[in-house]
Amino acid sequence: MSVHTDPEDSEIAALFDFTGTIDGKRVLEIGCGDGRLTWRYADRAARVVAIDPDADEIAAALEDLPPRLRHRVEFKAVSIQEFEPAAPAFDVVILSWAL
Amino acid sequence: MVHALEKIYRLLKPDGILIDIHPPPEPSSIDVRIGEQAHAAGWLRETDDYGDYEAADEALATIVARRLFAVERRGAFSFLTHVDTLAELRNYLTEEWENASIDDVTAARIEELMSTPERDKEIILRESVRIARLAPIPKA
Repeated sequence: MSVHTDPEDSEIAALFDFTGTIDGKRVLEIGCGDGRLTWRYADRAARVVAIDPDADEIAAALEDLPPRLRHRVEFKAVSIQEFEPAAPAFDVVILSWAL
Repeated sequence: MVHALEKIYRLLKPDGILIDIHPPPEPSSIDVRIGEQAHAAGWLRETDDYGDYEAADEALATIVARRLFAVERRGAFSFLTHVDTLAELRNYLTEEWENASIDDVTAARIEELMSTPERDKEIILRESVRIARLAPIPKA
């Protein structure tokens, strides 16, 4: 099976264009799914908390979490309504197809 | 949705930003690329999602009207999914996009275009996606 989603990298290009620099920022991604977008920017952020209410999607994201990002990215199976972070001050919140 | 945006307001630093990415309530197009040329084949049908996208637009408009956030910038980009066969596209939709389907007319047009002897060909699903940058407005 050959399915290629956004091989042109249009989504991440638009994200970087609209966020400006994401380097060193604390990022909350809402609706992260299986981490499809997360992997593409997480290297630049200081810390990423990525949430999605779908536990299966989060399980897939955790399975695919690259070792280099383990200290930087935290996935949580939770909705935004139920999400209560230990440190609430984020520099960037990404609503990823989630509203 | 408005409650979610109110919560995001509380989670953001005062100088933070919110990036919203979501599709408009419009059907995605399906093309077949044969060599260098793209041929329109039809549209993807969605049964439930348009209402969600409209509600998302309304929620954003509400929080802007309430002066919780200010829109700093709006834009759009094309999000493409490339597949080799109609069967692969149907499988992809079944797994990833349960409210979407391909009508018989569009499916027949795809099959017709894909039956060309040209080897360099593929099906392209094109979603137009909106992106916006919003900044929280400090409370007076």
